Amino acid sequence: MTEARIHDRGYLAYDGPRHGPGRAMVVLGYHTVQRVLGLKRSNWQKVMPAIALLVAFVPAIVFIGLAALLPASSDLDLGDPAGYYVPISFVLFLFTSFVTPEALCTDRSSGMLGLYLASPLNRDTYLASKFVAVIAVLGIMTIGPTLLMLIAFTLDGSGPDGALDWLIEFGRVLGAGLAMAAFWGSLALAVSSLSPRRTLASVAIFVSLLVSAAVGDGLSQGAELGDSFALLNMIALPIETVYRIYGEVNPDGPPIRHVETLPILFTFLGLIVVFGWFARWRYQRIEVTG
Amino acid sequence: MSDIVISARGVQKSYGSNHVLQGLDCDIGRGITGLLGPNGAGKSTFMGLVLGLRPRQGGELNVLGVDPEQSGPELRAKLGYAPEHHDLPGDVQAADLVRHIAQLHGLPRRAATERASDALWQVGLGEERFRPVGTMSTGQRQRVKMAQALAHDPDLLLLDEPTDGLDPVQRDDMLALIRRVGREFGIDILLSSHLLEEVERVCDSVVILANGAVGHSGALDGLGSAATGVKVELDSDPQPLAAALAAQGAEAVIDGHIITVTGHDAAADLIRDLVADLGLGLRRLEPRRTTLEDVFIEASR
Repeated sequence: MTEARIHDRGYLAYDGPRHGPGRAMVVLGYHTVQRVLGLKRSNWQKVMPAIALLVAFVPAIVFIGLAALLPASSDLDLGDPAGYYVPISFVLFLFTSFVTPEALCTDRSSGMLGLYLASPLNRDTYLASKFVAVIAVLGIMTIGPTLLMLIAFTLDGSGPDGALDWLIEFGRVLGAGLAMAAFWGSLALAVSSLSPRRTLASVAIFVSLLVSAAVGDGLSQGAELGDSFALLNMIALPIETVYRIYGEVNPDGPPIRHVETLPILFTFLGLIVVFGWFARWRYQRIEVTG
Repeated sequence: MSDIVISARGVQKSYGSNHVLQGLDCDIGRGITGLLGPNGAGKSTFMGLVLGLRPRQGGELNVLGVDPEQSGPELRAKLGYAPEHHDLPGDVQAADLVRHIAQLHGLPRRAATERASDALWQVGLGEERFRPVGTMSTGQRQRVKMAQALAHDPDLLLLDEPTDGLDPVQRDDMLALIRRVGREFGIDILLSSHLLEEVERVCDSVVILANGAVGHSGALDGLGSAATGVKVELDSDPQPLAAALAAQGAEAVIDGHIITVTGHDAAADLIRDLVADLGLGLRRLEPRRTTLEDVFIEASR
């Protein structure tokens, strides 16, 4: 038998189906989720996302475990759903600072931005994909645990009474989780758009959040200039917003708890829009050829 | 497909008060076209306009039959682009990177995976396709850039300084690959470079940008066929001969032992007679051909 070998595979034209720009957005978004979560990357890159997910889900799993193990008649306090976002916020604070800059900064430092914008994506669809991807990752932590608790407690018989109450609670879980993810995600993209250096963006996010908390609380409480200045506290603002979505006020919260709901929601949504606009403004000016 | 791949009429582009392109007119046909120009001539800006990444201030631009500013996403699906820089994500395998870009250009995942592998074979990285890009040499990265530009089977390939950073052997290989892509694969190429020699080696035609406009454009075949004077090399000081030529009405430019003579219909006969009269040693006498360098210098003035 003679041995057959392929010496030249030749070049074949492609005449199969082609997807449009919408599919390109999905591809980029999926790729970004993988990058941010450290998938297909070194083990070191997986550590921070894994810890963040663990810390976000462990309290929920403990609550569910207690509810399952203890008899239904026991006086188990299943906790305030809005209060669950207080510890999650700490995780989000660290995750947003040290992991999410990967979504934007690396594309600029590695030259991928030029390749992306030379594809059917444009600057707006590129940023939209990135924003959705970051929200999706943050949403795992902001929606995942509370949704898991809602489902588990419902199955256990200790959830909301009736279909309407359940749907309202479900809407709050989704709304609060998405709102929180959108806030942290837009902040991360806005700050990350300032520099291609990931470390610099991380430090900038970390410091800006701490400074905002110090300034907001300092002006409202220390200088006694009025409770409205507490809205400057970008760590407390999303937590308090979540409480208001649940129709509550954070009982142990900083001075922002004294502010009316409408200014809180207005500031919260306004900041998301401003962060998004700023990232877009920055990306309209970035040169990618040459 | 039309014979004109890119058509520009009065294209203008400014950054603030810096007028980079000032009424650029050119028609770029099929085949391999070199885009030449000194630094700052507007080559990268023109590439950006062709890709539809930037709005222009005036004029008309047509790429593959559409206006890049109006139909950017649809057009870019048919374009392949290899940027000048060598930065690529270091922790990503070459095959994953090429597949990802092919998917962005609309290929379904399975087709993108197959074509990414094929493209990496075509550029000579078949055995290396599962290596992280960060472990590759500059030459290999240039090939990865070429593969990602090719994998989705573009109609037009835009290559920005594709031999930058390569050693002479790698450069020869890359130029051979570009020739192959243009001739065998039938993909039209716009090659931006500041190296005249490599444009002469691989391109069918050239567009030379200078001062924000086209200084020269045309086929490279025409260059070198028409004589524009005579070159004479002596084994001694050429000054006496230059003076004698000037006295006879010819223009003589001295460069070392070589005199370039223009402006006289029978320059060769005249030089022969004067060399004999002056008793000089003649090493070489040949027609002076127009080179790309001549055209480039003339266009850049």
